[in-house]
Amino acid sequence: MKLDFAKMFLGVSALSLMASAAVAQEKTLTINSFGGAYEEAHRACIITPFEQETGAKVEIVTAYSADAFAQVRAQKDAPQFDIIHFSGGQEIVAANEGLLAPIDAAKVPNLANVYDFAKANVAKGEGPAYSIAAIGMIYNTEKAPSAPTQWTDIMDPAFAEHLVLTDISNGYGMLGFLMINQVNGGTLENIQPGLDAVTKLLEAGAIIVSKSPEIQQEFAQNDAWLAPYASDYGYTLRKAGLPAGFVQGEEGTPASLITVNMVANRPNEDLALKFIDISVSPEAQQCFADALRYSPTNSKAELSAEVAADVAYGEDGVKGLLRFDPIAIEANRAAWVEAWNKTIAR
Amino acid sequence: MTDRLENMALVMPGLLLLGLAFILPVLQMLVLSVSGPDGFTLEHFTRFLSDSYYLGILWRTVRLSALITLITALIGFPLAYIMAKSGPRLRLWLTLIVILPLMTSVVIRTFGWIVLLGRSGMIPSMLRDLGLVGRSFSIIQTESAIVIGMVQVLLPFMTLSVLGVVMSIDGRLEEAARTMGCSFMKTIRTVVLPLSLPGIVAGGLLVFTLSASSFVTPSLLGGSRIQVLAGSIYNAVTQTLEWEFAAAQAVILFVGVALVLVPYLSVTGRRNG
Repeated sequence: MKLDFAKMFLGVSALSLMASAAVAQEKTLTINSFGGAYEEAHRACIITPFEQETGAKVEIVTAYSADAFAQVRAQKDAPQFDIIHFSGGQEIVAANEGLLAPIDAAKVPNLANVYDFAKANVAKGEGPAYSIAAIGMIYNTEKAPSAPTQWTDIMDPAFAEHLVLTDISNGYGMLGFLMINQVNGGTLENIQPGLDAVTKLLEAGAIIVSKSPEIQQEFAQNDAWLAPYASDYGYTLRKAGLPAGFVQGEEGTPASLITVNMVANRPNEDLALKFIDISVSPEAQQCFADALRYSPTNSKAELSAEVAADVAYGEDGVKGLLRFDPIAIEANRAAWVEAWNKTIAR
Repeated sequence: MTDRLENMALVMPGLLLLGLAFILPVLQMLVLSVSGPDGFTLEHFTRFLSDSYYLGILWRTVRLSALITLITALIGFPLAYIMAKSGPRLRLWLTLIVILPLMTSVVIRTFGWIVLLGRSGMIPSMLRDLGLVGRSFSIIQTESAIVIGMVQVLLPFMTLSVLGVVMSIDGRLEEAARTMGCSFMKTIRTVVLPLSLPGIVAGGLLVFTLSASSFVTPSLLGGSRIQVLAGSIYNAVTQTLEWEFAAAQAVILFVGVALVLVPYLSVTGRRNG
C-alpha cells in the first residue's frame, strides 16, 4: 500500500514535470545579446517587458554579431535561435542566404512609426534597426578651444596634439576613419585620401588607441580634447566624471545599425514578431536611450532634452545619418587593415 | 630489456606531450603556411619578404630582442655574482626580489609601466618640470618602453641561469688569481666571466627567444604604431582572419630565431668544449 502510494506520487510528479517542460518548450524564445551593460539594458528595456506581457520566457545567449552570425549559419538546417541581433550589417548577408524570415509589417504595428531607412528591407528578411550607435565627435567641454561642428575640424591644428584616433580593428574606429576619408575626398573604392589625412594628423601629434577604455584613459590622464567615436561612449566618459560632450559632424553621422531579426524555420513566429514589435516600440527605445545613449529609430520616441543632446534624435538628427555599406567593409577589411597598419607604423 | 621498457615508460609522458602539443601543431602550421586556394603556394612568404613594411617588423623584433638580451646580461651577471658571493640568508632575499616580478600578472605589471611612463606619468612629467623635454614628451608607445618593460620581465631568467653556474665555480680559482697579482676586475674578466659563459648563453637564449615571441608587453607598451612580429601574427589571426599569412609569419619568426641561435650556440660550444 505504502509502495503504491510512492509509485503514484512519482508518476504524478513525472507527469507534471513533462507537462511543464512542454509548456516551457512552447513559450521559450531564444535570443542573443551582447553582454555587459548592453545586456543589462536590453533586459530592462525589452526582455523583461516582453516576458511580462506574453508570459513567455526568454533564453539569452551572449554572442557578438560575427559570432552570432556564424552560429546561425552553422545551424541552418536546425536553427536554435528565434531572434538574432546584429550590429555589423550581418543581416544583409544572412537574409540573402535565406537564414532570416521575412517580416510581415502588418503583424508588427510599431513598425509604422519607425524611420524608413531603419526598416527598408524587412520584407526581404533584414530585420528593422531598433537602435543606432551614432559616430560623431567626443570632445572635452572644458579644454577644447571651441566645440567642433564638422568633421573637417579634426584637421584643425588647435586640436593637433590632443586628438585621439581609434584603430580600425575596432568597429567604431573603422566607421570614424571612413568618415575622415569621405570628408577628405575618399570613397569606399579609394581610402587613400583618408590614409593621407591620418598621416598628417599623426605628424601633428595625434595618438592612436586600439580599445575604447584607452579613450577614457586619454581624456582622464593625458589631456585629450577630441576623439571621433560613438555617442554612447561619450556618455560613458561623462558618467566617469569627465567633461565630455558629443556632437554630430555637419557632413553626416556614420551609423552602426543594431537590428533585430527573425530566424527562419522556427516554430514561434508570432512570439518572435511580438518581440520585434516591443523592440521597436517608443517605450523600449526611450529606455535604451536613457540607459546607454543609443539613438532611437522610432519617430514617436520621446527623449528628455538632456538625453536628446547625446544622440541622433528627431527628423533633423536622423537626416544626417549615413551607413557605409557593410558588405563593402567586409570585402575590403583585410586590405584596409594592412594599408592602415602601414600608414600608422613608425 | 626490462630496463629499456622502464626507460621508455619514463620518457613516454614527456614525448607524448611534446608530440601532441608541440610537434603536431608546428607541422600543421607549416602546412598552413604554404597552402593557398589552389594547393601549394609560396605567396604568403613572398608577400612578407618582398614588403619593406613586414621586413621592418622582422628587423625590429630581432633588434629589440638582441638589445633586451644584452641589457639583461649587463644587469644580470653582476647581480648573480653578488648573489653567489653573499651568505645564504641574503641570497634567499635577493632571489625572492629577483623573481618577485614574475609573481604578478604580466598585464598588471605592464599597466604599472604605463602609469609611470605615460604622457602624464611620473617620469615624463618630472623630466618636463625640469625643462628637459617638450610638452608632449612620452616614453609610452616607443621602442624604449618595450625594452624597459621586457628587461624587467626577463631579468630573472638571465640572473637565475647565471647564478646556477657562478655558484658552481670553485672559489679557490679566484683566490689563486688574486694571489698571483690579478686585480678584482681582471679576476672577473679572465676567470669568472669565461667560466660563467655557459650560464650567460643559456640565459641569453631564454631571454632572446622569449622576447622575440612575446606579444602582450610590446603591444601594451608599444601601442598599435610599433608592431613586433608576434603582434603582427596576432592581427592576422584575429582581425583580418588571414590564417595562412599568420602561419607564414610564425614560420619566419621561428626560422629567424633559429638562424640567430645557431652561430651563437656553435661559437660558445667550441669555446667550452
